[in-house]
This record gives sequence, structure tokens and C-alpha cells, in this order.
Amino acid sequence: MNANLAERFAELPHLLSGHVLLSMSAILVGLAISLPLGIHAAGRPRLAGVVLNAASVVQTIPGLALLALMVPLLGGTIGYAPAFLALMLYSILPILRNTIVGLQGVDPVVREAARGIGMTPGQRLRQVELPLALPVIVAGLRTAVVWVVGAATLATPVGASSLGNYIFAGLQTRNWLSVLFGCLFAAGLAIILDQMIRLLEVAARDRRRGLALGVGVSLAMLIMVSVAPRFIAFERAGEGGPVIAGDAADLADETIIVGAKAFTEQYILGALLETRLEAAGARVDRRDNLGSTIAFDALRTGEIDVYIDYSGTIWATVMNRPEPIHRHAMLAEMTGWLWAEHGILALGGLGFENAYGFAMARDRAETLGVTSLADLAPLAAGMSVGGDAEVFTRPEWVMTRDRYGLGVMQTRAMDAAFMYGAVRDGQVDMISAYTTDGRIAAFDLVVLEDPAAVLPPYDAVILLSPEAAANPALVAVLADLVGAIDDAMMREANRQVDLDRRTPDQAAQWLANEMEAGGADR
Amino acid sequence: MSSGTSPVLDIRAVRKTYDGGVEAVRDVSLELDAGQLLVLAGASGCGKTTLLKMINRLEEPSGGSILFKGEDIATLDGVALRRRIGWVMQGDGLFPHMSVRRNVGLIPRLSGQDPARAELRVREMLDLVRLNPSEYGDRMPDELSGGQRQRVGFARALAGSPELVLMDEPFSALDPITRDALQQDFKILQAELGFAAVMVTHDMAEALIMAQEVAVMREGQIVQQGTPQALMSQPTDDYVSGLLETPRRQMRAIAELAG
Repeated sequence: MNANLAERFAELPHLLSGHVLLSMSAILVGLAISLPLGIHAAGRPRLAGVVLNAASVVQTIPGLALLALMVPLLGGTIGYAPAFLALMLYSILPILRNTIVGLQGVDPVVREAARGIGMTPGQRLRQVELPLALPVIVAGLRTAVVWVVGAATLATPVGASSLGNYIFAGLQTRNWLSVLFGCLFAAGLAIILDQMIRLLEVAARDRRRGLALGVGVSLAMLIMVSVAPRFIAFERAGEGGPVIAGDAADLADETIIVGAKAFTEQYILGALLETRLEAAGARVDRRDNLGSTIAFDALRTGEIDVYIDYSGTIWATVMNRPEPIHRHAMLAEMTGWLWAEHGILALGGLGFENAYGFAMARDRAETLGVTSLADLAPLAAGMSVGGDAEVFTRPEWVMTRDRYGLGVMQTRAMDAAFMYGAVRDGQVDMISAYTTDGRIAAFDLVVLEDPAAVLPPYDAVILLSPEAAANPALVAVLADLVGAIDDAMMREANRQVDLDRRTPDQAAQWLANEMEAGGADR
Repeated sequence: MSSGTSPVLDIRAVRKTYDGGVEAVRDVSLELDAGQLLVLAGASGCGKTTLLKMINRLEEPSGGSILFKGEDIATLDGVALRRRIGWVMQGDGLFPHMSVRRNVGLIPRLSGQDPARAELRVREMLDLVRLNPSEYGDRMPDELSGGQRQRVGFARALAGSPELVLMDEPFSALDPITRDALQQDFKILQAELGFAAVMVTHDMAEALIMAQEVAVMREGQIVQQGTPQALMSQPTDDYVSGLLETPRRQMRAIAELAG
């Protein structure tokens, strides 16, 4: 088995158990709410209309947005709770709708016969109406199961482990095997659960006790086997690596939660923080693939202890400042603001900037005679610019566009994993690149100059939650990383993952070795 | 008052007004003795089905009172009352997800009879309606013909040994030959078991053939009540004679063919 595949299988117990626990609990609670509600509403047309409309509105919210919205609604809590709540809401509509439709669809003649021969309302419901509506209700439950098991992959960005970790991480590091792995297991799980419910329905309809028992036992076993790793402490493969700094007993028996957003550089830095902290004796819990603002909220509320963010991001999206200022002034003002407003400690810059820049393929730029954004205005009509989903709504693009007269360019949003290849292959003329991305050099791209200094600085900074900031040992361990990584080192580490298919852990190890060799100690 | 001397059913000045002021039944009084079949006849919307449903409290009267074996039904529990009164409806009303055996045995079981006795009762009932229990007991309703389903409907209605059976157009969905056979069988059954029955129909020929007493209804009121013979000889008004015209014409036509 190749190493990539072996590593994916090694992650499976943890991620599959998270996925099963999350989706099954959401469906069970969703069923416990929607079935009685549907029974209650079925005989009351106005109430039925109201609850169905409410459930439909929830359903029209895209899954990822619904999950992300739960984080601020729960006061910045990340992980299981917001994911559970969103998926539970998601499961309600199909079960509720089918319960109401199924019960309303029972033949009025049969309904009246049940009343006429002297059955009580409870007997009519249990022995006549529910059994006759069962196929429709079960169809709704099966729809809910397939939806929820699929949507549970979107729990990854709000910090709950699921099979989505394979997909999100794989997409960012262009590890297609990982993406495929996540898809196959999520789809397989959905199909198996769907078929088991179908068999349970057949067993109930035909009164086949043996079949019901068999399916029930296999379902219980599937859930137990999937969920078992949650409750059995399993040893993480301790990756040796040199102890770089710090006294090994500094953080003994403390659990530090390290957050990371969903792109390669963040995975590498997360892994770097992890090895540093473990070397100092701490137990480390990783929360990868967090959405951008979700990561900050989680830090603010102490859901995570530490993560790396970028000064320009905090400046624009957290502090809501419209105009960028000089790099060092921004760093200083941001640090003061975070401490005063939230008690968050910006420990310092790592030493490199991962800014937004606009990049073109070198040969195309040379053919057109473009070296700077200022050269583009006369050529912009008919040109297209690619970027991640976020960039076109950010002030960076708005200001660049307005300042350099690029409003006529066609914008194309795409996943960050694809845009470098797209500009290399001429599918778009320009992209919003991250300046530390290893593919800029590898794909022979040029970052256009910004003579008007519109693009803000993006210093990578170590941020600590208020609680973590009060832990001197933790601060001391992480302080060693300040100024330790320069642009070239980070770009190389990113390149190793994105192009050489090394793992983020391996790249982090490479960074650690470089740092020990004094590579960037300025 | 002992039940031996009082009528099984005593309807006194019963009215039914729906929300919105529609008067479905106006001031109807009727009596029914044990072993008798009373037919409520009349065109659609005359109030006959509403009157029938008030007898077992599927509908509540707006005024007047109904006595079942001397007891005012308003003082009785609706569910308990309906278990003492058989109920047969148009299109059989069998539960499609239950076997013949479970349909017929439902009320004995719900009333707390032990399973062995309930099963005995099911066999007895199926024999009574001329369905072989071992052949038909395990069939589902959709595996039966229309006539067989209606027989099961009768068996279910009689399983609780009711003293009164209410029937809403029980034969109307059947083909003429099956209908005739079932009508004859029903008369034999009633004579054997001695229950009283009220049947709603819009088919005057059926009313005349089966009833001991016919009440013709129009716009919520009884316009004429009497034996089939009395109706035929002295219809009170054009409405009643109009209803009798169809069976009369059929009889004449058949008599000419025979003659």
C-alpha cells in the first residue's frame, strides 16, 4: 500500500467515528422532534403550513452557510455543538414533511372506519394511520439520512472532525486520493445506512422479526465499531523529530488546542506548533480546516488556544478598518487593539508575509509587456481574473480594481487549489495569488507590482487566546518562533506539500530543521 | 325502564346545524325495535347520513336526544358506545394493511378479549358471512373480490355482538348479482341473530326489498315513514312518488317481459 493511502487509513477511525457520531445523533434528535411535530400538525392544516414553511426556509440555506452560522449563534463555540445543531435542523424537513403528507394521505374512508368501529384516537394513530403512512415517513427518513451524512462533511470548517477533513485538506493540498477517500467513505456510509433503514421497513411491514433483529444488530454494530475509537484513548504515532527549544517539562500535562485555517500553509504551521508544544511536554489537540472568521471567534472564546493569522486579515475583517497602513504600524496597532478589545495576545510575527498579490504567467506578461498592475488598464477589457471565493468581496480586490481601472475584467471565483494551474494554462489571465505559495516559482508566474501600494501587508502572527496568554510557559515556548521563518522558507515549505506531495508534517519538520540550522534568524 | 320493553333506538326531535347555518337534520324523531331493519332513504344531501352518524356519535346533534336501549347516548363514552354498535360503510372500509383475521378480530382484541377467544370469534363470524376461515383468514383485503370484502366488513361489524348495526350504503359499490346475494344473506343473518339495524340508501328498490320500515327524508326532515307496502300504496307527496317511480317502472317492464 502506498504511503499516502496508508496515512489516509490511519486517520479513518478518528474521522469515521466523528462522522457517524455527528450524523447519527443529528438524525435521531431530528427524528425525535419532527415525528411528533408532524403527527401533531397533520390534523391541523394551518399549523402544518407554518411548520413546513419554517422547515423549508432552513432547507434552502446552503449547508455550509447553515453550519457556519451556528458558530456565532452559539457565541463562538466551534466543534460538535454547532455542527450537530445545523445537521439536526437539516434533517427535520424531510421527516416532518413526509410525516404530514403520509398521514394526510391516509384514505378518509379507512380513517372513518377506524373511528366508526370504536377505536380510540391513540389506537387509530398507532394501529391504522401510522402503519399506513409508514412507507412515506420512512422515505423521508431515508432522504434525511442521505442528506445529513453528506452534509456532515461540511462540519470540518466549523471544527468538528468528519470525513470532510479528507475532502477539505485534500482539496487544499491537491491530494486527490484524500478527496476521493473522503467522498467514497461518506457515500458508502450513506448508502449502507439508507439500505439498512429500507430493510427495517420491509421487516416492519412484513412482520419479519428475524430480519428486523438482524438489521438492528448490524446497525448497532456499525455504530459501535465506528464510534468506539472516540472512547478508547488511542496513541498517536509519536513522530520523534529534534527537540528544538524549551524545557521538556514546561507544559507537562497541559492540553493545548491548536487551530488552523483550511490551506496548506496553515496545515504546516499547525503541525509546527504541534511539534513545538509536544516537545515542551504538552498534549496537543488540532482543529484544522476552520473557516477564516470562525478561527478568530474560536480563539476569542477560548475554544482554541493558539493559531496563526495575518495582520491584513485581522485589520480588514475583524477591526473593520477600510484603508491599509504601513506594515509595521499595522502590526503595532493590531496588537494593541486585540489586547485591549479581546485580551488576545499577538505574540509577534513569524517573520514572513503571505499577502494577496496579482500574478500572471511570465510568458504572457512579457508578451503583453506587463510588469505592474498599472500597465493593465488599457488591456483589461476581455481579460479575466481568477480568485478564491473570498477575494472578490474583500477590500483588497475592490481597491485594486478601482485604483487601477480593472472593473471591466471578468471575475471567476474558484477554489484556491485550482487557480495557479488555471493561470498557468491560460484559462484565466490573472489570479489573486498568495505571495508565499510555492506554485508561483514552480509554475513560472510573476507577481505584478503594486506601485500605488493598495494591497495591505499580511504579516503572519501568532495569536493566543486570553486564557493562553496568561500561561507564561506557553508564551515562552511559542516566543521562539517569532521572526524564525522568512518568505523564502515558507514558500519552500508550501512548495514541498503542494508540488512534491510531502505531508504538512514533513514540511513542518523541514522548517524546524532549517530554523535549528539558523536559516532565518535575523 | 327495562330494555325489554323500551325500543333499542329512540330518536327524539334531533337537529343538526353546521357552522354557517346549514340545517342538515331538522326535528327528526324515530323509534326502532329489536330485530327490525329501518331504512333511511332519500336523495343525496337529504341528511340521512348525518342522522346515521349521530346515532353512534360520529357527529354530535345540535338539539334533541338519542336513547340507545333507554340510555341517553350524550351521557355515554363515544368510543365505548361505538364498540356496542356495529358499523358498516360503503366501500367496506377494511384496513388494507391487516389480514382478514386481524380486521375481524380487531374490536374483540381491543376490548381485551383473550387471543384464543378472539380467534374463535373470528372463525365464527367468517362462517356466518359464508367465508371459509382457513381459506380467507390470512388473506389481505386487496386479495378479495368486492363482495368478499363487504362480507368481511359485515363480519367485523358483528364481531362485537352488537344489538344495533348502522350501515351507510353497504351494497352500493357491488355488482347487481353480488348485491342481491348479499342482501338475501343479510336478511337471514339478521333473522338469526336478532339485531336491530339502520341502513342508509338512495336506492328505493333496495329500501323496499329489505326494510320493515322506511323513512323517506328530504331537506333534513322525514316526509313519510311507514312500511314498504304503505309507501307503495299511499305516497304522501310528489317527492315520494317520484322516488318510487324508478322501481315501479322496472317492475312493469319485467312483468311485461314475463307476461
